[in-house]
Amino acid sequence: MARNSGGIEVEGTVVECLRNATFTVELQNGHKVLAHISGKIRKNYIKVLPYDRVLVELSQYDLTRGRILFRYRT
Amino acid sequence: MDSVHSPSDTAEHPAVITRVAERHWHALEDDLVVGRGEASRRPDGRIFLSIDSWHGVVFDQLADAMLADLPTPLYTVVDEADLDLTSSWRRAGFTTRRREWEYVVPTDPRATGLGSVLPPSDVTIVAAGAAEERLYTVDRALRDEVEATVGWQDMPAEVLPRPDGHTVLDPSKYVVATQSDRYVGLVRVSPITRRPRIGLIAVLAEQQRRGIARALLAHVLGSLHRSGIETASAEVTESNGAAMALFEGIGAQRASSNLELVHR
Repeated sequence: MARNSGGIEVEGTVVECLRNATFTVELQNGHKVLAHISGKIRKNYIKVLPYDRVLVELSQYDLTRGRILFRYRT
Repeated sequence: MDSVHSPSDTAEHPAVITRVAERHWHALEDDLVVGRGEASRRPDGRIFLSIDSWHGVVFDQLADAMLADLPTPLYTVVDEADLDLTSSWRRAGFTTRRREWEYVVPTDPRATGLGSVLPPSDVTIVAAGAAEERLYTVDRALRDEVEATVGWQDMPAEVLPRPDGHTVLDPSKYVVATQSDRYVGLVRVSPITRRPRIGLIAVLAEQQRRGIARALLAHVLGSLHRSGIETASAEVTESNGAAMALFEGIGAQRASSNLELVHR
């Protein structure tokens, strides 16, 4: 049975790394969201740095919050 | 393989948890995926969990389902600064097993003080270059030494043995210290990104305290600096005083910490 992902996935660029393990990500439409790293990225020790291009899943409950699903290679 | 876990009594977000694959769980709400859980097995056989959800109730439901479906012990890794996630795992019964410090390591010799560091006179530092038995030999010997002392479970994730016996996957990532015709130490650096990761640096026990590790770092960091890379990263287990002294002695700064949590 096909299931819909709960959130919208968009690409963005990391603008800032914040103290509490969150990041400010600027989306392609210019909006900024507060995002944290997904568990898969954390488990695999993938680092996210400012200016990294990332894929963000926006929360369906709050479009100003997101989860970083993927970091693109620069 | 779908197996369904009944929702908890909390009605605010009555998600249904479904095990959609051997190591994947979904939390569904009105046929939307509102949470995901994943279990992955590391080369040393330990199972590490991750859960992504927007609400603590869904997190708890996924954790309950995964704990019911999987054998213990179970592990996870969290950024210690992520207080919400850390408290969620603790709520699920996980406790701290180990802390890793993540260091940001400068590459500029003026910051590291490694510009004039040379290896001992009988040791040469070279890039590994090609897969060869000497590299496999020193890698196995170093891993045997770790196994006989602190043990693999207390080392950061990249310093894990591979079950098939071959532990060197990509020789191009390695720089080695040679003495006569044998390798006595090595350092492995991840593929070049803006901040390469020093995944492993080790010297045979009989050759330690001779400055070989510093010479290896001098070679690697100097190369990165000449390539325009300003910093590298490294994870060090808190209990590894020698490694912390090595990195802090070259100007590395603690940037964050990860906690390895366990549920027994």
